[in-house]
Amino acid sequence: MKSAVTTVVSAADAAGRFPSMSDFESVKGSFDRAKARLEAAEKLASCLDKFTNLAVDAVYKNGSYEQANKDKCVRDIHHYLRLINYCLVTGGTGPLDEWGISGMREIIRIQLLPTAAYIEAFIFIRDEIKINDVMGQQAETEFKGLLDYLINALA
Amino acid sequence: MLDAFSRTVVSADAKGAAIGSEDLADLRKYVADANKRIDATLAITQNVSCIAADAVAGMVCENTGLTQPGGHCYPTRRMAACLRDGEIILRYVSYALLAGDPSVLEDRCLNGLKETYLALGVPTSNAVRAVEIMKIATVAIMTETNTGRKMFKGINSGSGAQCQDIASEAASYFDLVIEALS
Repeated sequence: MKSAVTTVVSAADAAGRFPSMSDFESVKGSFDRAKARLEAAEKLASCLDKFTNLAVDAVYKNGSYEQANKDKCVRDIHHYLRLINYCLVTGGTGPLDEWGISGMREIIRIQLLPTAAYIEAFIFIRDEIKINDVMGQQAETEFKGLLDYLINALA
Repeated sequence: MLDAFSRTVVSADAKGAAIGSEDLADLRKYVADANKRIDATLAITQNVSCIAADAVAGMVCENTGLTQPGGHCYPTRRMAACLRDGEIILRYVSYALLAGDPSVLEDRCLNGLKETYLALGVPTSNAVRAVEIMKIATVAIMTETNTGRKMFKGINSGSGAQCQDIASEAASYFDLVIEALS
């Protein structure tokens, strides 16, 4: 799975060489941001249910979507937030790409669920929820970066 | 291929759970020890030919028939193949140590290695002995118990005594090689 370290090791292995100084530098570079990422992952894990419910309630309260789909939406938003938690840990978009994005849009469509509702929910989490109350500035930036990535992929 | 981070992710995904505080403790340690880990990996990469040559020489010294006509390290072409393999194993151990996870070593080096050696007529017991010597040499360099140049001399990221944990992690990767060959 793609992460800062595995990318470097794959490249070194393809060339058949030992890890070089520049490989070490890029590994180290990813660790500089790791503290914020791990904080974001930890705080997100503790607020996963709260964020999910707040977002889905907000999206479904104005009646533009069928209430029957709400449970499925809760399930999926929870799933996506868990994958974002994984991405925050690995420091790459590997988990979202492999388990969340490839094929997922088609599956949501085939179940006749509105993708717009998902996007609205993630935009709500990004813009309306006070993420700052639970995690620091840098951690919030990391989290929102991944939310944006997901929103773009689903849109 | 996995690293310490993606390994945590894969095992969390198997449970369907998010990664919370208790699972993050190990990863925080990995991040905090990053400099030591890089220096330990450097200890391998800077001493590759030395470690491999010593190990093969040691293996031959213990069993001098190897370099005699009819031995497995005769002629020099086969001895050179032996040195090359020592370096390849060290390369994959260095990858595993940098990633903090043995999957790259297992997938790309050890998978099928014993079968290949058996097919080529390489005596695995001698190969195991060479790997054992490489393990001892690597651990000695990392913990600065070697004679000669000390790893941390001139840099201040740590000391040999502080490298015990990472040296035993490296030793565990060598043990995987030994296990795969025996």
